[in-house]
Amino acid sequence: MKEYSKITSENIKKLRDICTDNAVIYEDDSALQAYSHDEAGGSFYAHMPQAVVKPCSSEQVSQIVRFAAAQNIPLTPRGAGSGLAGACVPLYGGIVLSLERMNRILEIDTQNMVAVVEPGVVTNDLCKKAQEKGLYYAGYPMSVHSSFIGGNVATNAGGSKVIKYGNTSHHVLGLEVVLPDGSIVQYGGKRRKDSSGYDMVHLFIGSEGTLGVITKIFLNLVPLAGMTVDLMVPFESVAKAIASIEPVIRSSSVLPSAVEFLDGTSVKYSCSYNNMELPFMQEAQAYMIVQFEAENSEQIQTLYEKAGKLFLDMGALNVYIADNRNNSEKIWRIRRNWLESLKAIDPNVPTGDVVVPISEIPAMVEYIKAVGKKYEVDIPVAGHAADGNLHPAPLNNGSSCEQWREVSEKILSEIALKACELGGAVSGEHGIGFIKKNLLSITKKNQIESMLKIKKSFDPNNIMNPGKLYEY
Amino acid sequence: MSKDIWTFARVINGRLTETSFELLTWGRALADSLGSSLCSVFISSKIQNDEVDKLFLYGADKVYAIQDERLKNFLPDIYMKAACHMIKKYSPHVVIAPADTFGKTLMPMVASRLRTGLTADCTELSIEDETGLLLQTRPAIGGNVMATIKTPYTVPQMATVRPMAKKPLKHKGSAREMVEEKVEEEFFTSSYEYVGFRQDESSEIALNQAEVIVGGGRGMKDEKNFSRLYELASLLGGGVGASRAAVDMGWVAYPHQIGLSGKTVSPKVYFAFGISGAVQHIAGISGAGHVISVNKDPDSNIFNISDLSIIGDCNEVLEKLVKKLQETGAVIKNERV
Amino acid sequence: MKMAVLVKQVPATENIKIDPVTGVMQRDNLQSELNPLDTYAVEQAVRMKKNFQQSTVTAVSMGIPAAQSILRQAIAMGCDEGVLLSDRAFAGSDTWATAHVLAKGLQKLGGFDIIFAGERATDGETGQVGPCVAVQLNIPVLTFVSEVKIEEDGKILATRSVEGGYELVRVSSPVLISVVKEINEPWIPDYNGMMKSRSASIKIMTAQDIGVDKADCGLEGSPTRVSKVFYPKLTRNGEVFSDSDPEKAAQKIVDFLKEKNIL
Repeated sequence: MKEYSKITSENIKKLRDICTDNAVIYEDDSALQAYSHDEAGGSFYAHMPQAVVKPCSSEQVSQIVRFAAAQNIPLTPRGAGSGLAGACVPLYGGIVLSLERMNRILEIDTQNMVAVVEPGVVTNDLCKKAQEKGLYYAGYPMSVHSSFIGGNVATNAGGSKVIKYGNTSHHVLGLEVVLPDGSIVQYGGKRRKDSSGYDMVHLFIGSEGTLGVITKIFLNLVPLAGMTVDLMVPFESVAKAIASIEPVIRSSSVLPSAVEFLDGTSVKYSCSYNNMELPFMQEAQAYMIVQFEAENSEQIQTLYEKAGKLFLDMGALNVYIADNRNNSEKIWRIRRNWLESLKAIDPNVPTGDVVVPISEIPAMVEYIKAVGKKYEVDIPVAGHAADGNLHPAPLNNGSSCEQWREVSEKILSEIALKACELGGAVSGEHGIGFIKKNLLSITKKNQIESMLKIKKSFDPNNIMNPGKLYEY
Repeated sequence: MSKDIWTFARVINGRLTETSFELLTWGRALADSLGSSLCSVFISSKIQNDEVDKLFLYGADKVYAIQDERLKNFLPDIYMKAACHMIKKYSPHVVIAPADTFGKTLMPMVASRLRTGLTADCTELSIEDETGLLLQTRPAIGGNVMATIKTPYTVPQMATVRPMAKKPLKHKGSAREMVEEKVEEEFFTSSYEYVGFRQDESSEIALNQAEVIVGGGRGMKDEKNFSRLYELASLLGGGVGASRAAVDMGWVAYPHQIGLSGKTVSPKVYFAFGISGAVQHIAGISGAGHVISVNKDPDSNIFNISDLSIIGDCNEVLEKLVKKLQETGAVIKNERV
Repeated sequence: MKMAVLVKQVPATENIKIDPVTGVMQRDNLQSELNPLDTYAVEQAVRMKKNFQQSTVTAVSMGIPAAQSILRQAIAMGCDEGVLLSDRAFAGSDTWATAHVLAKGLQKLGGFDIIFAGERATDGETGQVGPCVAVQLNIPVLTFVSEVKIEEDGKILATRSVEGGYELVRVSSPVLISVVKEINEPWIPDYNGMMKSRSASIKIMTAQDIGVDKADCGLEGSPTRVSKVFYPKLTRNGEVFSDSDPEKAAQKIVDFLKEKNIL
């Protein structure tokens, strides 16, 4: 692989010509620093970019890509920086292409039930806009208030609604992409079906910026549910909690829109952060949060009555029911602020993202606790139970930064490999970035080979987000 | 039936509160348009004459007072009896009190006992030309609606007004009459036993009397950052306020919460650090003189009601601002009595 | 101990939308809810019920028939029963008339040791009804209460959250206590509570039932009249400063304060 070129002040002049003066950050370390990391791990995963460019149109992106390719400068696309795998960290310096200014919701097409957005739109903003028109964007990562749609697509983000609506890839109908040679192409569009050839749209979903820059996104919208009800259910054991999932889902006439899991430790941390107190905090090893959507209050009543009774029959310590927004907010605050609450203790807390068959969750959690014991660290776990997706978050017990990086990587690797052994995968919804690159190469050798072939045909010079997903 | 305007004054530890004088500014305008007397009324333990004189200085034509050692603390039933006694005896046209925990307890009790109208939290008071009635304008539903209310058939017409909404103004009056009201012994039996007072360690200044309020929200990120708002507040001689989110996180106690389910404030300057500006919060600061907000989201709602909107990281800006004020030693110009 | 809690149905403020051009409130889809500040009063009563044997808590509201739903919510939280004072004659009541109706209802139900109320409702925002009810019932009132203790001799020691601190006051029951948010943190109803609230029958009492004269309630019985309603525009057209350098932003704030003659 030939060496990348360093950016010169001549280069910067050119970039400023393409965009505007204030769209380029250069030689300003404090401003560049903000683009050197995402939410994963903290400073020890950070790499400084040489420059940050903030284009505001596909044409500008295209010119930047063309220019970088010609100069052999690496290019790392970046969304909100809320990722957890280091996917937007510029490992080889070069240019960070921040899509923060491409933040327009171009269209809410009610007739076709499609939203057309730029990648820098905050996911929650789209949710709100769609809601105003009685529609719903069902991609709902837990970072919905900060993450960008573009990043959601690039990592194939999940979230709490996957059990009913699927992850981000289920909502994407089309993409406009700037390819590594600078050409602007559109795959898919305002249509729900397309059996004409390779499904190029889904090739780009989860590609983490290694194949091109996503500049426009066509998203599927669904009717807005009239009402929701949330149940919070403490259990004395993880096994009992998980065993209740299938019966509850099966007995309800509709799929729940969320089935979340928090272990007892997680609830303790989150409650102390939120200044709240929950029943059974001493005895409960697991809390489930289940949400149902319905048209009217009669349906809501039927749903929570059935589910509530079943949970109690399955050994729940109690069932708490929120049928109004104030009470729902109390439940979701605990789940949503989970990671924040851990960061309050350890600002660099790393989060795993393993996925296993639902039935293996108890074994997985047990294993995580055993690993915690072995390394003498606390590992709270939360996740999306019905997806079998767990986030173990080892908390530093006082090691130095360097030591902790090593230990925490070991911990998370052991957990991830165990997940694969149980029939799962090393990442459920956060992506691979560079932090889980090793794990992917160990667990999915065949896939890596195919991915490399695709990469070579799109980006032979390896300009786009080098160092991610695999060793090129 | 007199056309007199009464405003309540309050004595704490032998001193009249700042609000006592502000209320005279409210009352002065009303008395002037009716051509009637402005009277200040207080119920308290005995206070110094020069303290009473301040009421005349700030616009009172007449002062009514019941003074007794047993009235040192606010005992609602005795205060209600005392107020009703004076109102019945002298029949004022209008009675105004501050919309603080004192006024908002005493006034509804008095209005209820006298079966007359009371309007809470008025932001504007005026006299209707044709009828001479008091027009009381107040916000409702989070300030989204304003209503003008009258008490057409009964007297007195009663209202509470927000502290800090008007400045005390010196006034050259001629009449300076002090009426010391004497009451019977049985007046002093109370159902209440005053046990004591504990100062709130986190705030020296009552928020609804602060000239400057430094408010913080979720954007402050954590409790440690939040506590730095106190540095700015103390440099500016102000108090610390918070959005509901910050209170819910436990970064600061509920008495600091501003908004629909917290306090309504009218400082000269309100700082909003990392506050997104939910309708509920904005409802609490609509009476602020100047709003300065710092938020990294250029679309945040708080910017719609700000006089100065800073798009940036609230913690970084806070740090620099504190440093700058410490270096320059700039202080807030104080116009208090 | 026999306790009552006063509750009110209010519009769900989160959903209030104001037309940005006309400033008029858009009333379509306006949902209602239990006044959020009343939930603390309900929770406090329910907690005290747990500490005292043979205690009961009755949730009482004045409102339209649909307000039954908030009484059910109070029952789900642990109240024993709900009473709705509802009559066309009550429509248009101001705080005095509302307090009169509530006081008459409470008198009719009889014998409450403690009546709890929220600090104020999030729609009217007056906070006047609690103290007015107490005066009409001729019992003491404790406002802005952030802590309540029942002492061994049955006396009530309350902490009032007032300007700059906390005031400690002792009274004997019966008493009306209006509580502030810091008094507790209500959790949410459980399955049994929800099921109980659904099957509970809400007692509805009319003006006649509680002996309220038409002249003392509704618009007719209200000392105040609304003479004008208008929708203010809350926006200010301020200056926007977007330089990302915090140093410059801080300087800008200092300059602004100086310019406005504040510093």
